[in-house]
Amino acid sequence: MASRSLQLTLNGKSVDPADIPDDLLMIDYLHEYKNLTGSRLGCGQGICHACVVIVDNPDGTSEEVRTCITGAHYFAGKRVRTIEGHAIRDEEGKVSQLNPIQQRFVDEFAFQCSYCAPGFVNAATVLVEKLQRQPVAKSQLEKVVEDSLGHHICRCTGYVRYFSATRNVLTELGLVREG
Amino acid sequence: MKHPLLRTAMAVGLAASGVFAHAETQVERGEYLTRAADCMACHTAKGGAPYAGGLPIDSPFGTIYGTNITPSKDHGIGLYNDDEFFAALNEGIRRDGANLYPAMPYTSYHRVTREDSDAIHAYLKTVEPIERAAPETSLGFPFNVRMGITAWNLLYGDGVPLESAEGKSEAWQRGQYLVDVLGHCGECHTPRGMTGAMQPDKRMMGAVLGGYLAPSLLANDLAERGWNQDDLSSFLKLGMSDQGAMFNEMYPVFHNSTQYLADPDLNAIATFLLGEQPPEAKVLTEVALDELSTSAQRGRQQYLNVCAGCHAVSGEGKPHIAVAMRGNTTLRLDDPRNLLRVIEDGIDEQQFTGFERMQPMPGFADKLDQQELTDLLNYLRQTWGGTDSDLALADVQALQQEAGSE
Amino acid sequence: MSNRDVSRRSFLQGGLVAGVTVSLVPLANKAFAALKEKSVTMPSEQWLGSNGKARSRNDALSKVCGGKVFARDIRAKDMPGWPEQQGHAMLLKITKADHIYAGMDLSWLGTELQPDRIVTAEDLANDGIAFPQAHGPDPLLPVGQVPMFIGHPVAMLIWNDFERFRQAKVKLQFNDKAIRYGAKAPLYQTDPYGSFRYVRVGGATSADEDEFASLKDSILFPMLRNRRPVWDSQPDLHGDLTERGLYYADRMKQQMDSPPDNWLVFDERYKTPSIEPAALEPDNGNGWYDAASKTLHFVVATQCPLEAATETAKMIAPSKFALDNLKMHPGYTVGYGSKDHNIFVYYAALAALYGGGVPVRLANDRYEQFQSGIKRHPFDIRYQLAVDKTDNSFKIFRAEMSVDGGGRANYSSSVAAVGATAAQSIYYMPQNDLQVTAYHSRAVEAGSMRGYGTLQSMASTEMMVDEIADRLGIDAIDLRKKNAMVSGMKNTQGAIPAGAIRLHEILDKAATHEVWKNRHALKQQREAQDPDHWHGVGFAICQKDFGTGSEAPMASVEFNADGHISLRHIGIEIGTGMSTSQALIVSDFLGSPASEVKTGETEWDELQLTTGGDPYTMSQAEQNDYLRDPRWVGKLGSASSASNSAYYFSHATREAARIVFNHGLWPAALHIWSQGPYGGQANPYVVRREDANWVDGQLTANGMQPLSFAQLAKHAHDMGLVTGATVHGFNRWSWAESEFDIGKTRVRLPLDGLAVKYGDGAASDRKAQMNSAGFHLLDRKTVHYPDVQLNNAAVTYYSPVATLVELKVNKGSGEVQVLNHHSWIECGRVLVEELVKGQLEGGVAMGIGHALMEEMPLYEGGPGEGNWNFNRYRLPRARDVAVWKQTSEILPPLSRSDPAKGIAEVVMIPVVGAIGNAVAHAIGKRVRDLPLTSARIKEALNG
Repeated sequence: MASRSLQLTLNGKSVDPADIPDDLLMIDYLHEYKNLTGSRLGCGQGICHACVVIVDNPDGTSEEVRTCITGAHYFAGKRVRTIEGHAIRDEEGKVSQLNPIQQRFVDEFAFQCSYCAPGFVNAATVLVEKLQRQPVAKSQLEKVVEDSLGHHICRCTGYVRYFSATRNVLTELGLVREG
Repeated sequence: MKHPLLRTAMAVGLAASGVFAHAETQVERGEYLTRAADCMACHTAKGGAPYAGGLPIDSPFGTIYGTNITPSKDHGIGLYNDDEFFAALNEGIRRDGANLYPAMPYTSYHRVTREDSDAIHAYLKTVEPIERAAPETSLGFPFNVRMGITAWNLLYGDGVPLESAEGKSEAWQRGQYLVDVLGHCGECHTPRGMTGAMQPDKRMMGAVLGGYLAPSLLANDLAERGWNQDDLSSFLKLGMSDQGAMFNEMYPVFHNSTQYLADPDLNAIATFLLGEQPPEAKVLTEVALDELSTSAQRGRQQYLNVCAGCHAVSGEGKPHIAVAMRGNTTLRLDDPRNLLRVIEDGIDEQQFTGFERMQPMPGFADKLDQQELTDLLNYLRQTWGGTDSDLALADVQALQQEAGSE
Repeated sequence: MSNRDVSRRSFLQGGLVAGVTVSLVPLANKAFAALKEKSVTMPSEQWLGSNGKARSRNDALSKVCGGKVFARDIRAKDMPGWPEQQGHAMLLKITKADHIYAGMDLSWLGTELQPDRIVTAEDLANDGIAFPQAHGPDPLLPVGQVPMFIGHPVAMLIWNDFERFRQAKVKLQFNDKAIRYGAKAPLYQTDPYGSFRYVRVGGATSADEDEFASLKDSILFPMLRNRRPVWDSQPDLHGDLTERGLYYADRMKQQMDSPPDNWLVFDERYKTPSIEPAALEPDNGNGWYDAASKTLHFVVATQCPLEAATETAKMIAPSKFALDNLKMHPGYTVGYGSKDHNIFVYYAALAALYGGGVPVRLANDRYEQFQSGIKRHPFDIRYQLAVDKTDNSFKIFRAEMSVDGGGRANYSSSVAAVGATAAQSIYYMPQNDLQVTAYHSRAVEAGSMRGYGTLQSMASTEMMVDEIADRLGIDAIDLRKKNAMVSGMKNTQGAIPAGAIRLHEILDKAATHEVWKNRHALKQQREAQDPDHWHGVGFAICQKDFGTGSEAPMASVEFNADGHISLRHIGIEIGTGMSTSQALIVSDFLGSPASEVKTGETEWDELQLTTGGDPYTMSQAEQNDYLRDPRWVGKLGSASSASNSAYYFSHATREAARIVFNHGLWPAALHIWSQGPYGGQANPYVVRREDANWVDGQLTANGMQPLSFAQLAKHAHDMGLVTGATVHGFNRWSWAESEFDIGKTRVRLPLDGLAVKYGDGAASDRKAQMNSAGFHLLDRKTVHYPDVQLNNAAVTYYSPVATLVELKVNKGSGEVQVLNHHSWIECGRVLVEELVKGQLEGGVAMGIGHALMEEMPLYEGGPGEGNWNFNRYRLPRARDVAVWKQTSEILPPLSRSDPAKGIAEVVMIPVVGAIGNAVAHAIGKRVRDLPLTSARIKEALNG
């Protein structure tokens, strides 16, 4: 299999160009080449969304991308955030601050086994960022949460806590307007 | 009634077919015919009760709503007798004497036999009456004037002209009745003129509908795209075959209609469409990467980036997940429109028969820029589509513009 | 009752199995963290709120940050001391069960992609691998044989690098090009995995002596002949146990066949689907066999690490691979039972063994997980229930059940038994004859998936009772109230369930719920508003057993002079929050939760336990004989499941903490309070231990000055009191009890093993007694073990749950949409409410999947062929579970002393029956085969 040079930005750090097989899937790149195993392989087919990462677009928007069906070279030159990249860590590597979604998922016991958590955290984080640009009307709040998390599969806790935690974060961050 | 003999022959043909051997009652026959005529397509709203109407149908003249044809006396056709039902089906004349909008394919249904019409009516009388009025259709002038339709009707007063059945087999004749009459396939696959009527001289030659091409169903064109009779009939039965899976407007046709047809009827359709002596289906061999154009060679990386995860690196697809690119009929259309639209729009999850449930295909409109799209189209079309010519960036832009302006 | 864990007779003492030193250090453990300077769990300061309640799971931080939590996350380079190179393996499987396997052909892969190592049946035989018998025969199918099932592995292929593995696997996936098929052949056949019959004929009332019952007399076992159960004995009232049982069974059948006029005899069949557990982490393991040090390092996802470790050691010990050490590292995992007693572990161990010094990872992708992962058993059930129409009381309950266990023996036998003994759901059955047989088939192996047979039988019973109410023309909850068990009533085996039965409390609540009361008006009103759908309301209730009839929890609680509390536990965290809740239990006695928790502990040298015999099948004489050895216990350690953790695991933690309190902290407190002339501040008051209370982390009793835990800990240490206790318990539907002398006090405890530690200031003679791995090992002075006859009880611990569902059925598509649901749960004392609610919400979602969506063909076209994924197998999403609307209610405990009950399985059951009943209410037809897909609903409507 042919290969080509791949350069991208992972969790804020530029990754030096390296020769990567043309057809390598992003999840394999993260797991086997970068030892970042937090984006989890659930179905390997783009269905469960446990593997999603965030791509930060040049226009300041962010979006979810499923790494199990997307080639690593799709991300060439892009800025990518994985589940490992959200929390702020101190010098010893200990977590000093979670992002608001992570914190709320922890506080509300949103996950049990946590295998699906990377997908839910990333999807909800993208939603927060989207609403930071354009808040949502109260009447649409539940719908935007459904649209954002509705495709994700969780087999342990039945979605209730993920959904309510996300709704609560959006409200607390002032991203919900009257209407 | 121009061809009384023909109609009798067809009616006999159908009645004698295996299909009705186990359709013992008139109602069972009617249910089957209702499926074959795909009444559900327009008369059932998404997620709605069967035949209760309410489906919005976009036409160039405005939105037409499918009507309630359940036996509700207030809102449906509960007051129709068989004569009145036959008039509506065959002539497009409502019980109160008004003309139906031509979204009702009565020009195709014009040749439905009285016996079949009665059977369909008998069946519709058994469905649950839904006491709800379908939304009122309101069209722009002159189509808001039902009398204006009379003029339209003049063009097709006697229904869609049919090819002569002389010397054709029983299967072919049955196929013709199913395709041209009950199935009203031409309503989408035949281009329409300015008035909205099908162009008689371009029968089944393919037409653009909602940004997608309903491709030509002419025998040679089908064969050119890789179709043989067996594959065609199983495509109608299962919604999928080696040539791909149904999508866009054809998916509901499969879902509501063709999957319910009996094998002899599906074979009849294939016989009619491909002819008694079908042309040889064209087999393509995959073209190696180094024989592709520069654009197509670039396109390979786009394929690996966003397509191969499901359609596989070598294009064989994944069983029960995503169709193969190799042998795919959509890649072989001269017009790249459908391929482009599918890539940009994606396809929702589709339930086929049994446990076949193809996963949703994401749309890539915002993932690929125009050059990447062009390269990808060239890669797909040249590797597995049998073309050696490049689409230019401008071609793709033009198609995008066309879709955007709709 | 049959043996739920045949393979767990393993002998683990001092970590030595078959000459192999076994150590088990979970990835989540501090000990492992010390190696890697990373830890999955947080110290309690970080997760404990000021109110003494958990603010979060103690593993939440790692989990929400994408830390390396699962075995699946581990690569060779993550492991201290391992080579960096990571090899990868896959199993090659045969997918046609009706042909002889004639060998394989990989030549078409090309030279570049050939595996670096191919392991076949021949290799295993030549190399002396003793594959665990419980999972045999033929882990790899030998050439010339017909497969036992679709997807039978024929070879393990190993590549030393990822890239070639990846490319080769793409080529091998979704086809059987590598398999050479020989002649067509008859399908593999073998005897049923188990067959049981539970006959009971009660007395005039439940309280009267049973005429015949499993507990009092015997379970009936048929002969297995020609692959079917057959009865050789003749019914005889005066014959042996079997003959007597058959006599009563026969009498019941005759009564059913010619019932009196006032009886309604219900007789219908129910079918339940094969279910993929769909644990999102697929089965996996990663191991490095270091020939130089004769050590296998093994990271693995398992719900039964002890069993996995012992069986792995025993598998390799006799082989040509020299093995002195097995260092096993179970990760946090998830399985819903599917990673318990799982053959996959041993394939993964073999992959490592054949790695030639390269660490090898065997990790299923989702297709492979569907293909070989353990499934929930499909049941085919015939229920007959006779009801007296004059007073609506149940008279005779008969069941005939066939269970499809798939191609390998797993827990099918006991799943069948447990399914049958649960069939009564919540009802008192004066007479019953419950027959069940688990069969082999060419389907994927089925095992201990959540529900363990009870989901299948109870959901069906709940649909049956609802339908009977319809036929009788009475309210379905009234019929339930009439027949529900009350405290002290016997179950279908003749055993009396533990504790108070609070079913009527729940039924009363449900009966007065607005949705239930107004269900017919609601239906009418909603259908008028929404003519596209039929609406329905349904209710169901059940009580689920928990435990296996042979539970053996171990725990150790200890504090140091600085007031740092540590808990060691045999239970392994499988993601259910077990380590969080166990840490909290300690605070009942010590005022603060354990700040350090080690789970999955295997080294319990201080107890010097021995075991022997099979706790399920041994005779009373055998047990009495064993008990002469004061170190003998009925079983060494329990497996880990969520149901077990709440009750059984808590038992050990509580007892250990209680001992530390009673013999350490309490005497220390008394000593402090009594300081000064005339017995100090304690003297004017009467101070009683039962009045001891922890308030805001400080101990007080009868008005004594509150003392901090730190102060007490220091004092207890100074005085040389008991500062640590390691305990072992054994439960066979009742706890083993022993008397021990702690200091000068003789105490009777629900334990059969105890060792204690004394404080730093202990006298030298005391310290000298601490010669058993740092503990003073106490001898049992007397011991009372549960009688072996209790094995026939099958079940005594129950938790009830009820669910009320509102749904609508689309008139066109036949699709069902759950609109809302409300559940009631009684689980005794709640340890962490959020964990209970999370379990309930998750269980309900899984139940909705079982009832409405999840299905696959068992054989050809099914998952064994290796091309199934979540597109075809539909899992519930948020839109399917009424995510915003659902509600629930936990019944308050009777008192703070209620035990915490296991609820992990029961929560998913009533919703299944409730949906079945609601669909019937909606469409006016009964659909008895699950799942209630649109196709089945349309068929029912048209048929």
